[in-house]
Amino acid sequence: MNRMNLIQGVLCLALVFGIPAAGLTGEPLDQLKGTTDKVLSILADPALKGPGKAGERRELIRKAVDERFDWEEMARRSLARHWAQRTPEEKREFIPLFREFLERVYADKVEGYSWNKIHYEEERIDGDYAAIKVKIFTAKDQVIQVEYRTRKKGNNWMVYDLSAEGVSLVSNYRTQFNEIIVKSSYQELIKRLKAKSVQN
Amino acid sequence: MKKYNLELMVGLFLIAGVLCLGYLSIKLGKMEVFGAKGYEVYAIFSNSGGLKTGSSIVIAGVEVGRVKGIVLEDYQARVALTLSRDVKIQEDAIASIKTKGLVGEKYLEITPGGSEKIIPPGGKIRETLPPVDIEELISRLLFEKI
Repeated sequence: MNRMNLIQGVLCLALVFGIPAAGLTGEPLDQLKGTTDKVLSILADPALKGPGKAGERRELIRKAVDERFDWEEMARRSLARHWAQRTPEEKREFIPLFREFLERVYADKVEGYSWNKIHYEEERIDGDYAAIKVKIFTAKDQVIQVEYRTRKKGNNWMVYDLSAEGVSLVSNYRTQFNEIIVKSSYQELIKRLKAKSVQN
Repeated sequence: MKKYNLELMVGLFLIAGVLCLGYLSIKLGKMEVFGAKGYEVYAIFSNSGGLKTGSSIVIAGVEVGRVKGIVLEDYQARVALTLSRDVKIQEDAIASIKTKGLVGEKYLEITPGGSEKIIPPGGKIRETLPPVDIEELISRLLFEKI
């Protein structure tokens, strides 16, 4: 009888705590965590350290990130209303250029960063969209709040925007690109993006 | 007869005055009696810090509507917006809370998107950005130096 009670108690506990716990880490968060862990393990891999390995390491990180980031959606959202005015060729040219530009700007930061701990705060799923809040603790004990916005594409939740401390990447580039295109032209924007990619 | 006319005139004048006053108070208070001209959409913010009912909504600096109300929903701020009917908001538009100047009042800015899908009346602006806490940023800068 006593054993029966115990089993029931455990089952009740599992029902009460098990289900919300499962709900906390849904698919979008798991997938994002998978990619982040992959990048972190590449960064921590001693076999990939050293100046001679920098290229190989960058290539591995790029591959891991590509699996999780929807560059086309990011480019489309950043160009916003100017996207519709582009020809298919221009769109094809723009996506890798934008991706390369982001890589040039942020890769050094990712590689040089002393990540201490990453805490996955919360996940909000709304149909095919999900927002994931993450707290990154740096070695200097600073906290950076990052929010990823993802959209379901097939079985994958792909990141199309991220914001740090409430400043969104897409919003930032949308404003900048719009300014450049309105003031001069789309060609000028391409020229600047190319110049930035070569510069670094 | 003449006296009766004078009294009537005074009465009419008074009624006209009261009506004017009522109109003025409704206008100045930005109240709506016969329903707003425009349509309503909503947006969920993790923090609505300082935004108020009646705050203006702008696109490219041009006012296109006003905040109709803010309520707490699931520990987030649900902001109802009234937008003028001729303004179409794309599904990927971004709504962000900004400050006029460094310490001025808060307003809501919409950065138009490029999607072909338009948010219908009663729809939701999915992409939102909470206000940037400048005080916190400054304090963080200061503390890092110590």
